[in-house]
Amino acid sequence: MNLYSIALNNIARRKKRMLLILFGLMTGIAITVALFMIVESMRLALGDQIDEFGANIVIVPRAEGMDISYGGTNVTRASVDINQLTESDLELISTIPDYNSINLISPKLVAAVSANDRDVILVGVQPEREFIMKPWFSLSDQAGLPAGASPDDLALIKLAENSLIAGADTARKLMLEAGDEVIVNGTLFIIAAVISPLGSVEDGLLYGNLDAVQNLLGRQGEISMIEISAYCNTCPIEDIAAQLSEAIPGGRVTALRQAALLREETINKFSTFSILISTVVLIIAALLVLTTTMASVHERTREIGIFRAIGFRGSNVLTVILLEAGITGLSGGIIGYVVGSIIALNFGSYLTGNNIPVFWQANLIAPAMLLALLITITAAAYPAYRAASLDPAEALRFI
Amino acid sequence: MKNILIKIDKIRKTYNSGSTAVNALQDISLNISRGEAAAIMGPSGSGKSTLLSIIGGLNQPTEGKILIDGIDLYSLSREKRADFRREYLGFVFQQFQLIPYLNALENVMLPLTTTRYTSKQKRDMATHALHRVNMDTKANRLPNQLSGGEQERIAIARAVVNEPPLILADEPTGSLDTKTSEEIMGLFRNLNESGLTLLMVTHNPENTAYMNRTITMQDGMLISGRKNTIATNSLPFSINESAGVTR
Repeated sequence: MNLYSIALNNIARRKKRMLLILFGLMTGIAITVALFMIVESMRLALGDQIDEFGANIVIVPRAEGMDISYGGTNVTRASVDINQLTESDLELISTIPDYNSINLISPKLVAAVSANDRDVILVGVQPEREFIMKPWFSLSDQAGLPAGASPDDLALIKLAENSLIAGADTARKLMLEAGDEVIVNGTLFIIAAVISPLGSVEDGLLYGNLDAVQNLLGRQGEISMIEISAYCNTCPIEDIAAQLSEAIPGGRVTALRQAALLREETINKFSTFSILISTVVLIIAALLVLTTTMASVHERTREIGIFRAIGFRGSNVLTVILLEAGITGLSGGIIGYVVGSIIALNFGSYLTGNNIPVFWQANLIAPAMLLALLITITAAAYPAYRAASLDPAEALRFI
Repeated sequence: MKNILIKIDKIRKTYNSGSTAVNALQDISLNISRGEAAAIMGPSGSGKSTLLSIIGGLNQPTEGKILIDGIDLYSLSREKRADFRREYLGFVFQQFQLIPYLNALENVMLPLTTTRYTSKQKRDMATHALHRVNMDTKANRLPNQLSGGEQERIAIARAVVNEPPLILADEPTGSLDTKTSEEIMGLFRNLNESGLTLLMVTHNPENTAYMNRTITMQDGMLISGRKNTIATNSLPFSINESAGVTR
């Protein structure tokens, strides 16, 4: 017989009351755990998305014109026909202080052309750079491929001067397959490969060698856009963008991370909303613990009077009440963690409105238990103090 | 005076009810000797239970002093007074007042909960106390599985488990039938014969036959403190002649 066994016995005796507290606490902790897991998963997914952007800096001429988007992000408004950048600007990039942080530079010339009498956008690129930078590109069709063989990795393809690679939409619109011929601005090209559908603006493009496109358009040395990949985990991407802006006065430099930051801001708003919801639910749980413990103490007034009369100190009574709260709190924390995890894992993607995978986070169990313990101990502190301060004579109705 | 266990000196207890002061006890002075078995009698509202609660260290008097075994009870802090109760006093309450979710053995062990005894020692002491009241065969029963008389026996075992020198009992037979009351009073008498000092509040005049002194109260005052010659003859000690009533 010790204070712990008294607390346990009392919990076992007042099952309904304890289940009520446990339910309130479990709900609060479950909602908090679920929202935390979802927010953390969203952050992880965001990190992955930033890494998958490939290019995280884009330089375009300071000009007005049609929209150009990359990675689903609207970069700027730039004219496809006005070129204010040249290959000499590429050399200026190497002059910036953080040049070592730059991983890859991919210049391109973008132009509206006529292909088989249809208007399309032709992009001149350095394939070995462009397609390394965009590892999510893959080929659905390739010229000269033996029957049954899979297309090569796009980044490994040697694109001949008279060859083009078609985006999925362009191939469909012009009814082209790999190996077909196509007349672009009066010049014959061969479709070397077709890119698998991406669901982005790249589906509507035709890719060619930068030099060949420059020659075709009569715009030797000109480029209309430079995509840069920097090490985003270590480099101050905004600083690099500012340095490039200074180095290339004719270019408009955009750090694509800004787009990611916009997404992060959305996540932060969701996170703030989650904290608000969790706080409200946890406050309600705390009030439930407070009122239930108050009622329990009131109900046990005479019992506490007996404890005090037979030699329990006020601190002993306080310990019994807080032990009961603590045991309930820890149980609520564990159950809340399990229920919250189940909710997050099963309904997290649905709640976020996209296909972000939610990961089980075992390391949350300790904080969940501590939080539940903190809530119950804090909420039970006042009733426990009241119980400890009870006048034993009054409790036993000697007065 | 060495033989005096309880020395009550000019105790007064006043309750304030709104603007009215109610005198529950007025200038009570009383000595109780070691080994004495004293019954406190009187009509309802005469202050019997208030006096018992004050002697039990549960209810601070408005004025006056009370010494138990030479210790000024109300000069102790609340927590020290709790320790004192645990070591010096055994309470037997009205309606038994057992903890309903603890079995008989656990109820008896309750006063030992905060002591330094080992679990085995606590269990042995509680088993011994149950044996003293002939309840060792029902140690695992919950209070609601026991009769009124059995519950009273458990309450007595709880009061004596830590071997206190003084037992305070408040109407211990108030809710028992005559036969059971006699059994319980016989039990109290045995405990008293074993050396425990007993102070009992009772309405039942028949209970005084088991006590060697009857203290009568009325309107918060002591009106007599006579010796019971019937019981005294059979008790192995003498009543302290200096113990009396002063008004």
